Amino acid sequence: MSQAEEIRKEARRLLEEGEVKYVVGYRRGPDGLTAAPFFAATPEDAESLIWDPTCVHNLVRFVRDEKRRKGRAKDPDHRPVAIVVKGCDSRAVNVLLQEKFIERDEVYLIGVSCEDSGVADSKKLAHRFKGRKVDGIERDGEDAFSVASEGKKITVPAAELLADRCLECQASYPVVSDFLTGAKAERKPEKPYGSVEKMEEMPSAERRAFWEEQIGRCIRCYACRSVCPMCFCDECVVDTINFAVNPGTSAEEKADRIKWIERGSDSSENFGYHFVRAIHLAGRCIDCGECQRVCPLDIPVRFLNKKLEKAAKELFDYDAGFDAEGDSLVASFRDDDPGEFIR
Amino acid sequence: MAENFEPKIVAFLCKWCSSAGSDLAGVSRLQYPANVVPITVMCSGSVSPLYIFSAFRKGADGVLVSGCHPGDCHYIKGNYYARRRISLVKELLEFSGLEPERFQMSWVSAAEGKKYTEVISDFVDALKPLGPQQMLRREA
Repeated sequence: MSQAEEIRKEARRLLEEGEVKYVVGYRRGPDGLTAAPFFAATPEDAESLIWDPTCVHNLVRFVRDEKRRKGRAKDPDHRPVAIVVKGCDSRAVNVLLQEKFIERDEVYLIGVSCEDSGVADSKKLAHRFKGRKVDGIERDGEDAFSVASEGKKITVPAAELLADRCLECQASYPVVSDFLTGAKAERKPEKPYGSVEKMEEMPSAERRAFWEEQIGRCIRCYACRSVCPMCFCDECVVDTINFAVNPGTSAEEKADRIKWIERGSDSSENFGYHFVRAIHLAGRCIDCGECQRVCPLDIPVRFLNKKLEKAAKELFDYDAGFDAEGDSLVASFRDDDPGEFIR
Repeated sequence: MAENFEPKIVAFLCKWCSSAGSDLAGVSRLQYPANVVPITVMCSGSVSPLYIFSAFRKGADGVLVSGCHPGDCHYIKGNYYARRRISLVKELLEFSGLEPERFQMSWVSAAEGKKYTEVISDFVDALKPLGPQQMLRREA
């Protein structure tokens, strides 16, 4: 039975027995190629669920919405929500559990292992096929994808199409799940922080010019924040328009809110926003790469998070999302934390 | 230009040690450069990364965070949290291309007025050749 069939069978069982409220998974998107998030609420819906290399989305993001919906409901349905999670996504669940944002019984995790492969980057795919129509993509052994295009099947080495994060992924299997399909293959990338190291080798001034150009382009659409499963605050410190107000909030109170970062999208404000985002994700980001995928301007925001992931690993030997019980990175310390930079 | 440039340093000093240390430097009439804008905070652990980014964005050429020596924190462990968090901020700022000299951290106890003056003089000396910080500065 293929992984997709196993997911469908499990989803159908869950929905038939009423164990879960609904199943969040993937189905074929309107373009006939890429996957789109899908909420299966009936056993019949479960038949639409798919699993293939275009299932890039991190569906854990919908846990946040579910939590909000439940908070507003008069008579909330306390059954868990089932989510299809890849390795990276499962670590996101772990971080949310660690932070007590959700309880373990609020979610039912349908784990799906990427095994030795990963998901395909749609931009790389478009680039590789130079705009020709691609009709389907599936895994072809360990190191290749089989891509159907214009009636032909072409085998492409996996490294050419895999998303950047998958090339640096250190655990392609779900670390937490209630149901698992696929093998727990251990992946050992040669350079888990290769892309960051390449940037670190650049001279400081060159790096500054790079980031000034990249961050300067940001239009502050906040897509990276919206898609992030870790950004769950109701009020965001970098964005004054979502401060909670009610009819009793006086004009004075509204005016007294500190505007750390203004709404304009000039370089300084953008740096402020991206720095805060990176710091708030330090020790929490599990590198699902969604922020970079959704960026309409292709700003490599993932690097900032990856850099702090690397720093957390090297300085404090901390891996995000592997342990739901331990203390989080910035809520803990050790007596022998490095402090050579301090005078 | 470099000789005439007077850098502006924003220093977040913890109330119990570093701020008292800077006071001691003052009452002992020790000479040190007047480039510092000291801001007393209750603990180095209370310095949010936002304060640091904000200082840079509002025109600081250098930012200093100073607290009690490890083990001396008035709140027992605030400076340990600070050390962890601030080192991440430092990594991030350097990765984005800010000169590493522009952001420093120090442990200054209430008895180390002398050390405080040394930290500040060295900081000013390190900043002078760099010129004004433009990367994060808000356009006026």
